[in-house]
Amino acid sequence: MPKTGQLSASFRDPSGFLFTDNGILYRQINRVYSKDYARLMDSGLYERLVKAGLLIPHIEADQISVKSDAGLKVIQPERVSFISYPYEWSFSQLKDAALATLSIQKRALKMDMSLKDASAYNIQFVRGKAALIDTLSFEIYKEGQPWTAYKQFCQHFLAPLALMSYRDVRLSQLLRVYIDGVPLDLASGLLPAKTKFNFSLLTHVHIHARAQKRYSDKVIAPRTGTLRVSRQAMIGLIESLETAVRNLTWKPAGTEWGDYYENTNYSDSAFEHKKILVREWSVEKKPALVWDFGGNTGIFSREAASSGAFTVSFDIDPAAVEQNYRIVKSNKEQNVLPLVLDLTNPSPSIGWNNTERDSFGARGPVDMALALAVIHHLAISNNVPLPQLADFFSAHCKWLVIEFVPKSDSQVQRLLTSREDIFPNYTREGFEAAFSSRFTINKAESVRDSERTLYLMEARS
Amino acid sequence: MQFAPLPYLDPGSGSIIIQILLAVLLGLGVALRASWSRIKSLFGAKPKSDEDDDSSDA
Repeated sequence: MPKTGQLSASFRDPSGFLFTDNGILYRQINRVYSKDYARLMDSGLYERLVKAGLLIPHIEADQISVKSDAGLKVIQPERVSFISYPYEWSFSQLKDAALATLSIQKRALKMDMSLKDASAYNIQFVRGKAALIDTLSFEIYKEGQPWTAYKQFCQHFLAPLALMSYRDVRLSQLLRVYIDGVPLDLASGLLPAKTKFNFSLLTHVHIHARAQKRYSDKVIAPRTGTLRVSRQAMIGLIESLETAVRNLTWKPAGTEWGDYYENTNYSDSAFEHKKILVREWSVEKKPALVWDFGGNTGIFSREAASSGAFTVSFDIDPAAVEQNYRIVKSNKEQNVLPLVLDLTNPSPSIGWNNTERDSFGARGPVDMALALAVIHHLAISNNVPLPQLADFFSAHCKWLVIEFVPKSDSQVQRLLTSREDIFPNYTREGFEAAFSSRFTINKAESVRDSERTLYLMEARS
Repeated sequence: MQFAPLPYLDPGSGSIIIQILLAVLLGLGVALRASWSRIKSLFGAKPKSDEDDDSSDA
């Protein structure tokens, strides 16, 4: 973070920027944005969007002085529990973020405002729902002006969703490489030919990509009298994008863990015992923020969340995360956030100067982490030595709830059938010795009806 | 002549052109739908409520 306290994710838009002061997040609004801000607040648009849960609320922080001469005022936006990025979202999360963006644009047009950008990074999951976090994304709309965010919307939302739906859900990972969304010529080339018979994808992706190429060396002033888009045409465009997004679907099936719980060696009583222990320990330690590593569809995340903690449920499998998110939606849960994360290669910091989007680790540490039935995958499938695992977990949490799965367990046996056992230290004693260098072991409970042990540990400071 | 302030993002020449062409076409659809619902309302059909007015689903 630069010395000014300005956040490194907020520098492109001249309307203002984010900064922190004494650990509190603020947003400076610059003078150049004063008319747009006044319209947002006075037209009733702000109130309507906040009421609908589509925009995070803020208060005007008059006690905080502006950080530069360009400043008009400082606002204090509601702090989001956990910032996540589009390459960590499941299909439906990206789809809901896209639909939220279009819904905001439609509401804005009614109040003579328009979104001046449509970045997926401006959307976060707040109380279980996709919401805009950038209060400065609105501009006064003058009938006739085209939607300048059209290209960005197609790159950030439509193209990746189409690729995930028609080609492979793992193509969401292209967003990790292309920070301003999937280039449309790339998407057009990767999409199956049948998408050319889909009017929305033909126009907004395939022909759009051709037009970009054809006019790449032409300069067009976007807001001149001759290039006009009437209000009705603008609404037609937004509704067409909405239809395009709504029609894209993906059904989680046939992936790694989709039906994991039906395929385990757990007895019901072992499973229930683990749930009880996670719940009891969460209630006892009262964590504010919990990370559940290998959260699958979020069964244990919900036990931690029932203590009041905001729980991020990470899993490597997009199908499990998708199912987890659908549960969040159908139960209207506010404090569980499912995300896709490969623990063996977690999200790096990316963007300008490698500081625009935080790495997974920089968004911690947290009060409590859960690592249930993951240690054997990391230690055996991925060959990470136990001391390195202890280093990893101690860097990210204060309290660790971790399950040790011994070699005699059938799940571990399965991992060892096709390879040499090069893990002489992978024993309960070896595990405890390795973790004791970084943690104090607070509790160790044998899981009923199994050979597994559940530990509660506290990181040494 | 420029009628609104220039945006801070480059909207892209090709993106503007395709958008204008598409918008004309799609705007026609919106206009047709509006007249059709007016005709229907003459015969007593209730106009559909606007989903973006109060629903919070997105």
